[in-house]
Amino acid sequence: MRDEILSRGVTRRAVLGGMAGVAALSIAGRVVAAGGEAPAWAQLARDGKLPPLAERLPKKPMVVTPFEKAGTYGGTLRRGLRGSSDHNGILRMVGNQSLVRWNLEFTQVMPNLAERWEINDDASQFTFHLIEGVRWSDGHPFTADDIVFAIEDCVKNSELYSSTPAQLSVAGKAVKVEKIDDFTVKFTFAAANALYLENLATPLGQHPTLFAKHYCSQFLPKYNPNIAEEVKKAGVGSWTDLFRARCGDIEIPSRWGNPDKPTLDPWIVKEPYSGGATRVVMTRNPYFWQVDTQGNQLPYIDEINFSISQDVESLMLNVISGKIDIQERHISVLSNKPTLSQNMEKGGYRLLSLVPSASQQCQIYFNMTHKDPALRKMFADKAFRQALSLAINRQELIDIVYFGQSEAYQAGPRPEHPWYHEKLARQFSEYDPDKAGAMLDQAGYKMDGSGLRLRPDGQKVFFAVDVIPTLYPDLVDALELVKAHWAQIGIEMKVNTIERALYYTRGDDNAHDAAVWPGPGGLDPMLDPRDFFAFHPQGSRYAIPWSLWYTSNGARGEEPPESQKKRMKLFDDARSTADLSKRGAIMTQIFDIAADEFETVGLCLAVGGFGIIRNNLHNVPEKQPDSWSWPNPGPALPQQFSFTS
Amino acid sequence: MLVFIAKRLLWMVPSLFAVSFLAFALIQLPPGDYVTTYIATLAASNEVIDQNTAAQLRERFGLDDPMLVQYFKWIWGILSRGDFGISFEWQQPVSGLIWERMALTLVLALSTLIATWGIALPIGVFSAVRKYSIGDYFFTAFTFLGLAIPSFLLALVLMYIAAVEFGQDVGGLFSSEFETAPWSIAKVLDLLSHIWLPVIILAVSSTASLIRVMRANMLDELPKPYVTTARAKGLSEFRLLVKYPLRIALNPFISTIAWLLPNLISGSVVVAIVLNLPTAAPLLLQALMAQDMYLAGAFVLLICALTLIGSLISDILLALVDPRIRLE
Repeated sequence: MRDEILSRGVTRRAVLGGMAGVAALSIAGRVVAAGGEAPAWAQLARDGKLPPLAERLPKKPMVVTPFEKAGTYGGTLRRGLRGSSDHNGILRMVGNQSLVRWNLEFTQVMPNLAERWEINDDASQFTFHLIEGVRWSDGHPFTADDIVFAIEDCVKNSELYSSTPAQLSVAGKAVKVEKIDDFTVKFTFAAANALYLENLATPLGQHPTLFAKHYCSQFLPKYNPNIAEEVKKAGVGSWTDLFRARCGDIEIPSRWGNPDKPTLDPWIVKEPYSGGATRVVMTRNPYFWQVDTQGNQLPYIDEINFSISQDVESLMLNVISGKIDIQERHISVLSNKPTLSQNMEKGGYRLLSLVPSASQQCQIYFNMTHKDPALRKMFADKAFRQALSLAINRQELIDIVYFGQSEAYQAGPRPEHPWYHEKLARQFSEYDPDKAGAMLDQAGYKMDGSGLRLRPDGQKVFFAVDVIPTLYPDLVDALELVKAHWAQIGIEMKVNTIERALYYTRGDDNAHDAAVWPGPGGLDPMLDPRDFFAFHPQGSRYAIPWSLWYTSNGARGEEPPESQKKRMKLFDDARSTADLSKRGAIMTQIFDIAADEFETVGLCLAVGGFGIIRNNLHNVPEKQPDSWSWPNPGPALPQQFSFTS
Repeated sequence: MLVFIAKRLLWMVPSLFAVSFLAFALIQLPPGDYVTTYIATLAASNEVIDQNTAAQLRERFGLDDPMLVQYFKWIWGILSRGDFGISFEWQQPVSGLIWERMALTLVLALSTLIATWGIALPIGVFSAVRKYSIGDYFFTAFTFLGLAIPSFLLALVLMYIAAVEFGQDVGGLFSSEFETAPWSIAKVLDLLSHIWLPVIILAVSSTASLIRVMRANMLDELPKPYVTTARAKGLSEFRLLVKYPLRIALNPFISTIAWLLPNLISGSVVVAIVLNLPTAAPLLLQALMAQDMYLAGAFVLLICALTLIGSLISDILLALVDPRIRLE
C-alpha cells in the first residue's frame, strides 16, 4: 500500500521538473553506522550529564540525505522576524515535524514521524506506524499514546476547541484515533478523506504530534485534579488559557513562548517569543531523531537567532549588510530584487528563487451576491464580466507593474501543472476594447452622451474595488491601470484602498462591490480551490454567502445556483477519491464548469519571489516552492543546512 | 501650595476614568476586532486560519460582550487586583509586558530631554544675544534643516551609513549579549553606548524648534527696561542674562514638560520602529493595529497618568521659576 501511496505523486513529479535534481529523500529504517554528534553534546555525554548518543536516538533513526554534502557541526543561523504576530516565521523554519511531510518538489507525501502507513480502500482509515524510539526534547519517549492524547483529549475537548479543526473532521464528525500498539495508531474518519495525507503534510496537520502527553496532561482537568490552583498561581483566567500558554497551538505565538514544552523539532526554544521580545533564540534539540547518511545526528547548526525587526526596511538593511543568513519572508517582493542583486557581493549572499504555488497575481472578484439587487444583477451577468476582462490591457500592466515577468492568465492550475486547463486559464485574456464595448451594448449597458455607460435602470455604472495597500502595493498599481482601461469603455471604477481589518469586515458583512486578492491554487488546486467554486468563506469573494452555505452544510449563507452546487458535489467526490488520475478527471469537470461560468477575472500569472542565502550556508535548495501548505523553507529540511567556516 | 497639590491630585481620579473610557472606546472604534485582525495578519502571509477557530477565539476573549461590559470588567480588574488583563496576542498578562518597556521609554525620554535642552538653551540664548551675527545665521540655517528633515529619514540614513559603510551593529538599545541579561553596570554602559543614536535623532527636530522659541522669547525680554536697569547697576552680562530674562524665557519650556512624554511616545513611533527600539511606542502601535485592547488600553492609561503627573510638575516648577505666577 505504501508503494501505491508513493507512486501517487509520480504523475505530478514533472510539475516542478528540474527544481531539485538530487532531491533530499529520506527513508526511515535504513541502517547506518553510528555516527557523530555535536561536540558540545559529546562532551556532556562523556561527563554523564546527557545519555550517550545511542540512547538518545531511535534504533533505526530517520536518515536524511544532505542536499549537497554532509555538513559540519556548529554555527548560529540568523534570520529575521517582523514585529509581533510573526510566529509562523518560526514555524516555517523549525516546526515541521508532522507524521508525514512534503518532498522538495511539493509533489509527494513522504514519511516523517510515521515511517509507513496503510490506507483502507475507501480512504477512511489511516494506520500509521511510528518510528520506534523517537524521544521528545526532554528525553521522554514519543509513542502512540501521545497521538491519542493529542487528538482524543486535547483537540476533541470541546472546552479547548469548541469545534474540531476542519482537517480532523469529515461530514461534521470528528476523527477517532485508537492505539493499536505502542508504535501504531489508527485514524478512522466518518467518511472517505482521500486528501488526509496531503493535509497532514501541511502546517495545519500538525495536531497529532503537537502535545506531549507526559507534559501537557498536567494542564487538563481530566489528568490534574489540582488544576484550579495552578490556574490561580499563573494568574490566568481558566485552564484553557493555561493550556494554551504552556502548550500552545499550531499557529499562535505562545507555541514558541515556553522553553519547558517538549517538542520533536530540531531546535527548541531558548529565549522565547513573548510580548516585547526583541529576538528569539532556538537551540539544538539533544534528542532530535534524524541523522545524515553517515549517521551523524542532525541538526548541524547549533542555534537559530531570529532577530525581530519592526520595520521591513531595517530587515533589508540587515540583509544587505550580511547580518542575515537566510531570508525570504517579508523581503520577497519583486521591488526589492534590484537592491538585493546590487548588494550581493557586499552582503556575501546568493539569491534564492521562489516558485509561486499561487495561480494568479491579482484576481478581481465581483460580488455576485451583492445586497443591492441592481449591482447583483450586473455582476451576475456573465457577458458583463467577460466584457470587462476583454477591456484590460494585460500586457501593458505586466510590463509596467510586474517588470514584464508574467503572462496574461485567468485562473486555474499553473501551466506546468498536469491539471492545467487551457480554457480556464486563457479565455477572454486578450485585449479587445471594441468587442468589449459591443458586448456591453448588447447586454444593455448603453453609453450615454458623456461617454459613460448606464445600467438598464438608468443609473451610471459605478462600483468600488477593495484593495489593501499596505499588504499588496502592487495590486493598487495594477488596479489603477485597470481603472484607466475600463474608463475607455465607459465603466467607472473606484480603487478603494482600505485597511486590512476593514477589508475583512466588509467581506464578512458581504458589503463589498468587488475586491482583489492573489488567487491560490496554482500548484495546490485541491488544497485551495476558492477560485473554482465558492469554497472559502473569507476567500471566495465573488459569493461569500454561497461558500457559507457550502461550509455550514446549508445551515447558513445563501443557497447557490445549480452549477455551484454541482461543483461542490464534485469536489466532495474528488476529496474522497484516492486514485490520483480519477481525482484529476473529477477536478477537470470542475474546471470545465468554472470556465463556462467565468466568475472571477484574473490579470496575470503569479510571479515568483526572492530570498537570499549567505554564501557560507550550504545544503539549501536555491529554488523552493513558496506556499503556506509547503511552509518554505521547512520542507527543505533546515536541520541539514550547514555552515562552512 | 499643598492645598493646590492635593486638589490637583483629587482631580486626577475622574480625569483618569474619563480618559481610560475614551481610550477603550477609541480602540474599539475601528471595524472588526482582534480576531478579524488576527485572521487578516495570517492571510497577509497567505496563511489560513481554521474556519472554526475564529468563532472560538471571539468566544474565548469575550469579544461578543458589549463594549461597556468589556470596559467594566477591565477597569474592575485594575482597581480590585491591579490586573490589567491579558494580551490577546501574547496570551500573557499585560502588566508583565508594559513595565520594562515603559522604563526604557522614560530613560529615552529623559535622555532626549536633557540633550534637547542642553543644546537648545545655550544656542537660543546665544542667537538672541548675538542677533544677526554669523553664528546666529549658522544656527538658524541648522535649525531649519533640523525641522525639515523627517526624523525617520534621518534614522534610516544614519543606520545605512553605520551598517553598510562602517559595519556597525545598529538598531536596538543593547548589544546581543546584553539583550536578555539582567540589569548590571555593564548593561547600563552598553545601554549608554547605544542610546546616543536615537537620542540624537529624536533631539534634532525638537532642538530646532526650541532654539527658535528660546531666541524669540529672549529677544522679547532683552530690550525691556528691567534689563537695562540691571545693566546700569553694573551686573555682569552673564549673571544678568541668567538671573532675569532667561528665567522668564524658560516659561514655555517648563510648561510643556507635561506634553513631553506623550509627545516622545507618539512622536517617536516611526523612529522607534525604524531603529528597532524596545520602547513602548512600537508595542503600543502594534497593540493598536492588532486591536489588542487590554494591552493598548493599559499603555494609553499609563501615558495619560504620566501626562497628568507631568502637568502637575510643570505647574509647581512654573510657580518656583517664574516670579509672575502665583497659585492664589
